[in-house]
Amino acid sequence: MKIVVCIKQVPKSDSVKIDPKTNNMVRDNVEGVINPFDKNAIEEALRIKDQLGGEVILLSMGPDGYMSSLRDGLAMGADRAILLSSRAFGGADTLATGYPISQAIKKIGGVDLVLLGRQSVDADTGQVGPIVAEYLNVPQVTFAEELRFVDEHTLYGQRLLDGATQSVQVTLPAVVMVRSELNTPRYETPVNIQTSFEKPIDVWTEHDLDLDATRIGQAGSPTTVQKVYAPKREGRQTVQLSDDSATAVKELLARIRN
Amino acid sequence: MENQEKMAASMLHRMVREFTENELAPLDMEIDAQGDYPQGLFQKVIDNGLLTMTLPREYGGAGFSYDSVAKAIHLMAIGNASMAVTLEGHFKTLEQLLKYGDQRLKDEYLTSAAHRIFAFSQTESSGGSNPRGIATRAVKSGDDWIITGDKIMITNGGLAQVYCVLAKTEDDQMAVFVVDQDMPGFSFGKREDFIGLRGTPVGEIVMDHIKVPGYHLLGQIGQGLEIGNNAHDDARILMGAVLTGIMEHELQIAVDYSKQRKALDTPLYELQTIQEKISEIAIARQNTELLYQHAAQLKITGQSYAQVAAMAKSYGSRAAVRCGDMALQVLAGYGYSREYPIEHLIRDARAMEIAEGTVERMSGEIALKQVNQ
Amino acid sequence: MAQSMIAVYVQTDGSMVEPTSLQLITKARAIANGQRVVALLPTSDADQTVATVKQYGPDEILVLADDRFAAATDTEIADGLYQVVEQVQPNSMLIPATVVGRSVAPRLQAKLQTGLTADCLDVYFDGDTLVQVKPTYGDDIMCEIICADRRPQMATVRPNVFQAEPAQAATQVTNVDFEFHPEAHIKMEKPTPIISSSANISDASVVIALGRGADNPQLIEKAQKLAARLGGMVGVSRPLTDHAEFGHESQIGQSGQSIAPDLLINFGISGATQYLVGIENAKTIVSVNTDPDAPIFTKSDYAYVGDANDFMDALLSSTRV
Repeated sequence: MKIVVCIKQVPKSDSVKIDPKTNNMVRDNVEGVINPFDKNAIEEALRIKDQLGGEVILLSMGPDGYMSSLRDGLAMGADRAILLSSRAFGGADTLATGYPISQAIKKIGGVDLVLLGRQSVDADTGQVGPIVAEYLNVPQVTFAEELRFVDEHTLYGQRLLDGATQSVQVTLPAVVMVRSELNTPRYETPVNIQTSFEKPIDVWTEHDLDLDATRIGQAGSPTTVQKVYAPKREGRQTVQLSDDSATAVKELLARIRN
Repeated sequence: MENQEKMAASMLHRMVREFTENELAPLDMEIDAQGDYPQGLFQKVIDNGLLTMTLPREYGGAGFSYDSVAKAIHLMAIGNASMAVTLEGHFKTLEQLLKYGDQRLKDEYLTSAAHRIFAFSQTESSGGSNPRGIATRAVKSGDDWIITGDKIMITNGGLAQVYCVLAKTEDDQMAVFVVDQDMPGFSFGKREDFIGLRGTPVGEIVMDHIKVPGYHLLGQIGQGLEIGNNAHDDARILMGAVLTGIMEHELQIAVDYSKQRKALDTPLYELQTIQEKISEIAIARQNTELLYQHAAQLKITGQSYAQVAAMAKSYGSRAAVRCGDMALQVLAGYGYSREYPIEHLIRDARAMEIAEGTVERMSGEIALKQVNQ
Repeated sequence: MAQSMIAVYVQTDGSMVEPTSLQLITKARAIANGQRVVALLPTSDADQTVATVKQYGPDEILVLADDRFAAATDTEIADGLYQVVEQVQPNSMLIPATVVGRSVAPRLQAKLQTGLTADCLDVYFDGDTLVQVKPTYGDDIMCEIICADRRPQMATVRPNVFQAEPAQAATQVTNVDFEFHPEAHIKMEKPTPIISSSANISDASVVIALGRGADNPQLIEKAQKLAARLGGMVGVSRPLTDHAEFGHESQIGQSGQSIAPDLLINFGISGATQYLVGIENAKTIVSVNTDPDAPIFTKSDYAYVGDANDFMDALLSSTRV
């Protein structure tokens, strides 16, 4: 079983800033971590490998700094990692991300299963998975809360819709996006942290992939962020209710029913 | 290479922080109340490889340097000091096997140290860590030794499976032997009911004519006291780390409370009397961290570290008790309540004014070193 | 040039229309400014779903009728929509940010090679440009995203941010030509509704929280009565987890559950930090405590200094059904 897990590095939530000129989130010098949902995808891949054998390959796109989250994934137990990194990929939106990612998966070759987290916690799009599935022309299972192999080539999944569940069975290859209910990601262990430095992280640029240059990076991205702002948040102004309980409840209900 | 070591250490520290926040901190109050680790918790520590931190790679360990491990212990102690002390007891013992153990002994035993706890036992009922009154006997029998005696107040006693035991030979020489709980004649005695660090088991082992192979001797006959002292030194570095963690916890509680609580319309932290307490806790925490980190640096660079290690433990234990008292006062009535963990942090810290040599003994060691310099 | 068009993907599970789709029709009508609002409706029960959609007054409903839409895959839906979008070339397209919408939209986006913004909280037109407003990094930062050159401009919109309002219009209903391409290698079952969402305090919209100052059997019983009336749940701070009826799953706080109800009423809770962390995302917080200096009050919208029992009784009598 050859499994590719696509991961994204996201800034730790309390350290996000906005560049007032470019309107982009500043990710330099911000501690990066693996997108939490992607950890569920890595965990699922490792469990499948424990059960069926095979190889778990991490794939990400971003600047060199993304190596640290790939290293974290290797320390969880993945076998090797590939980082798509080049100025040419910079400024990509989901469409211009899904395309080189899918080309990289084609280059890896013989991939049975592509796993992703349901969405990233920063941009919150959840779009790359279905885009990759479309480009690879394979079926997708999104928002999976349960997965199990029926046989070596058939995966049963249950996805959680809004107020309903849905069973689905796919024949591999397929793209699966996982929910956090699926599993609890394992910790990196001290020994795995040390061995993660012995596992390869290959860096691929646009020259290593078969790509249409107009479909990558900022130029290949249809969307642009025109404005970023922090919505105003009101601190809590405490309203003191009357001493008499019946009056106090009346006051309260009058206000919160508005 | 140096960079790689740094990155690995920071990954270790984040892992320990996450493990502590998710698995240990939520159980901190329960561990204190129950006086034991909940079922399955220690297995989680083993399963996540936390016993392997100092163990060299060739024995299946992670081989992190002592300063990195001390920092990990510090981070763990913020969430739960008992478990941090359990690991301290294990690591200080492994250090002695690594330094003084026969290669055959290391090959046989250290490869199991990822899932078995090792403990160091000196104390007997005749009194404290005073080695003069040791009654445990080691009698030579061919290539083997026959060991008989009773050790008490062993950190991890009952939890550990392998024990380094300080004993006296027939010609009154001190020596340390490695004894396995599976050896015939080995049994466990009672567990202490201590007021603090209530998760950490502290117990007794009874040895009735245990036959121990010759290569289970650490170092040489007559080196027992040196090895015992070395174990103390290694333990004291890690205790400094535990105490730093406890003070960090005390500081967090006091700071959080001073921010949310108002006296009339002024937040508590704006009051000078509160600021003084917060700053004193912060300074003491920082001092203890510097002391244990410095001691660890001296150790890993092959310099003499006994003195600074003693300072870390002696200063840190007194400071953590005093800081706990100050944090309690910041919270006033809430601080005195069992709803907040401060009272148990004070009890936890108090243990370390006694364990691994009392602060009084430490003062003696530090003073004499100054006098004799 | 033909009149510009806003397309709305109307999600169905075959026969039932998903409510967000209707909210988006209302929203599209509100921002249309002369553009046609067109519902794209893949359905296995055209009669019923068309009737529902009509009530919300789109200018046109383009019906993709096929029995297989009762349990279609994301790919099959995306493929059907793609064929219609290629025919009618809308200026923009709104899609419910439901699980199905968020699964179908990116596949459609890749087919169309255009931009898509996920989980918008608002959309509006600036001339011909659809400005798509979405939160990023939790809800702490908002951004406005546009798709300048390519069409359609696609956005998924979060459920329940807009209200669906019935409207009268001369809705034209057209059965469109398209071919249902069954996807190989996948078998999708019809969704099974979750009967009782196993009650979870972190999802509750109303929480009645009890602390040490409200630790008596009468008050606990009353709290449960009040919670039942308000369609909420009872939670506790750590000291009350000793009671058999409150386990860890009822505990609010750092070591328990984080909650985000619309209304939280705290009885007898002092407000330890570890508790406050768990209620940060509550919308309206009401606190009842005998101690006027209890830290909980600094985090509350409404404060009642007094007896928990009195306040509870007053609440119960004014919420009587």
